[in-house]
Amino acid sequence: MKRGPLSWLVLALAVFALAFVVLAPMWLVGTSSFKLPREIINRVPTWFPHSFTLQHYQKLLQTSAFPTYFLNSVLVAASSAFVTVILALMAGYAFFRLEFRGRDFLYRLIMVAYAFPSIVILIPIYLMFAKVGLIDTDLALVLVNVTFALPFSIWMMRTFFASLPRELEEAAAIDGAGRWKTVVHVLIPLLRPGIAAIAIFAFVASWTEYLFASVLIISDAKRTLPVGLSGIIGQYQIDWGLLLAGASLSVLPVIVFFAFVGRWFVAGLTEGAVK
Amino acid sequence: MASKPNSSGRSDDRRIAVLLLALPLGLLAATLIVPMISAINISLRDIRVIGSDGPFAGFDNYARVLTDGTFWHALGISVVWVVGNAVVQTILALTAALVLNEKFPGVRVARVWIILTWIIPTVVVVIIWRWLLSPSGGMVNPLLIQLGIIDRPMGFFASGPAAMTSLILINSWRWFPFVAIMLLAGLQRIPNDIYEAAAVDGAGAVARFRAITWPLLQPTLLVLTVMGTLLSFNVFDIIWLLTAGGPAGGTETLPVLIYETAFKAYRMGDAAAMSVVASVLMIGLALVLLDRLAPKETGR
Repeated sequence: MKRGPLSWLVLALAVFALAFVVLAPMWLVGTSSFKLPREIINRVPTWFPHSFTLQHYQKLLQTSAFPTYFLNSVLVAASSAFVTVILALMAGYAFFRLEFRGRDFLYRLIMVAYAFPSIVILIPIYLMFAKVGLIDTDLALVLVNVTFALPFSIWMMRTFFASLPRELEEAAAIDGAGRWKTVVHVLIPLLRPGIAAIAIFAFVASWTEYLFASVLIISDAKRTLPVGLSGIIGQYQIDWGLLLAGASLSVLPVIVFFAFVGRWFVAGLTEGAVK
Repeated sequence: MASKPNSSGRSDDRRIAVLLLALPLGLLAATLIVPMISAINISLRDIRVIGSDGPFAGFDNYARVLTDGTFWHALGISVVWVVGNAVVQTILALTAALVLNEKFPGVRVARVWIILTWIIPTVVVVIIWRWLLSPSGGMVNPLLIQLGIIDRPMGFFASGPAAMTSLILINSWRWFPFVAIMLLAGLQRIPNDIYEAAAVDGAGAVARFRAITWPLLQPTLLVLTVMGTLLSFNVFDIIWLLTAGGPAGGTETLPVLIYETAFKAYRMGDAAAMSVVASVLMIGLALVLLDRLAPKETGR
């Protein structure tokens, strides 16, 4: 369909508005983390910085517990992503490559998991973990994060398994490769986009998780970023420079991660766009 | 799922499936199903000390919770929250999806990076908007004054309704790109030749949207409405970190009330009873929504 000049104008305005809504807040926070304190809280805010300083980052990295929170979060999120990928691959193979009774029922049952408010299991999980001594451990957070990421990851796996013709595996089988060999040498390499999509999803979900981390972790040294950062909000008398620097650094890892595998994640989200 | 009969032996499949599913399903059972049953058990007990089981109390907790005004108040707030988010997010996401469905330079990048607001931690969302909306250095007040929408700085969290509106807009900012991506997938499933045929027949852009896009998008919208309702009902951290349910309970949704009851007042039994009632309501609502809205799907 040909587009008239008016139609182009409307589209251009809409694209600009969309980009503005998503990017303007990020731009303001990112650039302002380098501004001097008085410019940050100026009555007339500036779109482009007039001053430059690294003092907020210095304070954040040297005098606050931010580095500890950051490392804890990396550890928890990376472990959660790793475990989620392994479990989702196992479940994915069973659900989308094997024939067994009760398969469809089990698959649907897993999807129903999301209907329950997470707050419902917060209390029993807390009491349960208290009994077995899991309170205040990273393992507790990994278990919870994997639980929440797994059903959606299995759902995303479906697209990626569906995009691979079974003939490939059958050909490998005819060539005499056993099931295990076929999986490792044929299936897993071809599933890399799916693995990337699940890894980023589980990583982001864990990186963001606040509710369980705020209840299951008690000691300050084991806090993850979201809880630690929210503690900094209250701890200092709103030091915006420090918070903006903390916010910027907390976003950085997910953006870097996303730059590499983001498109696979979106493909997994939208089903079928995988080629 | 394609259920083509496999050439390899079925009994073999079954054995491997059990091996493969033992760990994933075992974990989900231990961390979802067991706690859900346990939540019911807790809701029937009078727990005073954490770690002790407490005496059996029958439906005392339910009676106390359901006759207390705070539960119903929080439920009402939750309804406003869920409906507000559904409306705002649908409008924003549909607009974004329609834009991203067009062809323009950079659209491929935009389709991936639109989701930026969804991948950043909620605590960062909280910091961003607390600062942008604050009277000291925040950009939103000056911008709105410049645009002539307000004539003097306003307090975005000063009253219940103002705080609720701000929270809904902030949460929608975080979630609308996610919904937009899902809607975009729905849009791309609509065959292009239908639009071309309609254009040949002289249908304008608005007519094409009403006759083709909107009806054919219904199945996707239905799934997203149900999913979105469950997801936004669950939202806790944004509300907790921005308003903690205030001012004066004006933004105290059910999850916030349950959290406070359990971890501030340490009334685990009451909190569990509330969460059991909440789950029953949510599952009921999901079923009703699917049932009520589903017939439209047959037009596909």
